[in-house]
Amino acid sequence: MDSHDQHHRLLTAFLAGDLDPAEARQCDEHLLECERCWRAVREDRAGRQAARVLRQPAPPGLADRVAFAVEVAAAGRAAARRQSRPPARPGRRGRPGRRLVRRVAGAGMLAIGVAVALTMALLPGGHETRSVPAAVAAVARYAQTISSPGRNQHSYPAGRAAPVEVGRPVIVTAGGQPIVLRTWRLGSTEAVVAASDRPFPMPADAQGVPGSGMAWTARMGNLALYCLNGPTSELVAAPVPAAELAALAARLPPA
Amino acid sequence: MGADHRAFLDATLPYLDVVWQVARQAAGEGQDPEDLVQETYLRAYVGFGSYRGENTRAWLAAICLNVARSQARRRRRRPWEVPSPAFPDVPPWSRADCEQDVADVADVVIAALDAEQVSRCLALLPEPQRECVVLVDVAGYTAREAAEALGCPRGTVLARVHRGRRKLARLLAEAGVSHGQP
Repeated sequence: MDSHDQHHRLLTAFLAGDLDPAEARQCDEHLLECERCWRAVREDRAGRQAARVLRQPAPPGLADRVAFAVEVAAAGRAAARRQSRPPARPGRRGRPGRRLVRRVAGAGMLAIGVAVALTMALLPGGHETRSVPAAVAAVARYAQTISSPGRNQHSYPAGRAAPVEVGRPVIVTAGGQPIVLRTWRLGSTEAVVAASDRPFPMPADAQGVPGSGMAWTARMGNLALYCLNGPTSELVAAPVPAAELAALAARLPPA
Repeated sequence: MGADHRAFLDATLPYLDVVWQVARQAAGEGQDPEDLVQETYLRAYVGFGSYRGENTRAWLAAICLNVARSQARRRRRRPWEVPSPAFPDVPPWSRADCEQDVADVADVVIAALDAEQVSRCLALLPEPQRECVVLVDVAGYTAREAAEALGCPRGTVLARVHRGRRKLARLLAEAGVSHGQP
């Protein structure tokens, strides 16, 4: 090892606080005499100070977004586990070919399984048991996550303020359906607009909107849902009376 | 679905801020740091059942860096590597022209700190140095945690941090001079 390497190792250890007091004193004395090493120390400190300028807290809403994504993934795993359990067939052992068929069938059923799991897991309030498609349940769950109870219930309309986007779009997949979720604030009401290139299935207790083709409305807990299915399907969810949601949706920018 | 994902979130969400720091700097061009954080957590969730490590912070950082690298590879880009760094990676005492070009570098840097400029200059560091500076100085990891996340000895981390900081300071000084800043 040459003297440059030794100096470098010593200086690095000095800056990390790894030297014992005697070694640190020696290094201090060396720095008083050696301009090059002193500059190295000053540059190290300047670089450290500069890098710290980049520290920034995580954006508000990121924790909710991450938690929601994990929740959806957990629902998918639970469904996959259920689907991968071999059926009980006493006295019979599956041949390899049949096992393959079962696996293929199981994979094919995964999306349905995810839908079932999300239906069970993501329903607002956890007390609804009727069939709610996974994509719709995921949107409702997200809308409940971003709108804390009691904060903005039934507070629409609030003037004619232009909608303001809150946070950034979130992309999730529920029931095999990719969905882009955006949150908009109108007055004191926050509405979630979910867009997908596949139609949002109609929940069992939803009602069709007369004269609006494939549009439907539904109520889930404190949320009203309004869906307009077309080339790109949009599902709006907000904690407002159902009668007001279509008007609110009309004021939001297209997805 | 039940307790497992809640246990995972309880164990990992407290480190969201540090993962965010890493993701912001590790994300390549066109890569959304928030997406990177989400993907990090999803991968961590998949591996949580078999994770037996003691340092969740370091584990999350390692996943975040791996996700960033693999996404960059998929895009056939290498966001951490930049050709021809402005300063060679050698100690100053081995350079003959040391005295003439480093005068008051530290003063220039400290006088004109600007987050965007720092971020641009940080992006110019070679990948190993950049990762170490991000983990230790930006995200606040200890050298030992950074070593665990990167799978290298602590001494290597310290050396890379030192070289990275110096290079960053010099790049900033040069940028400040070239833009006519103080």
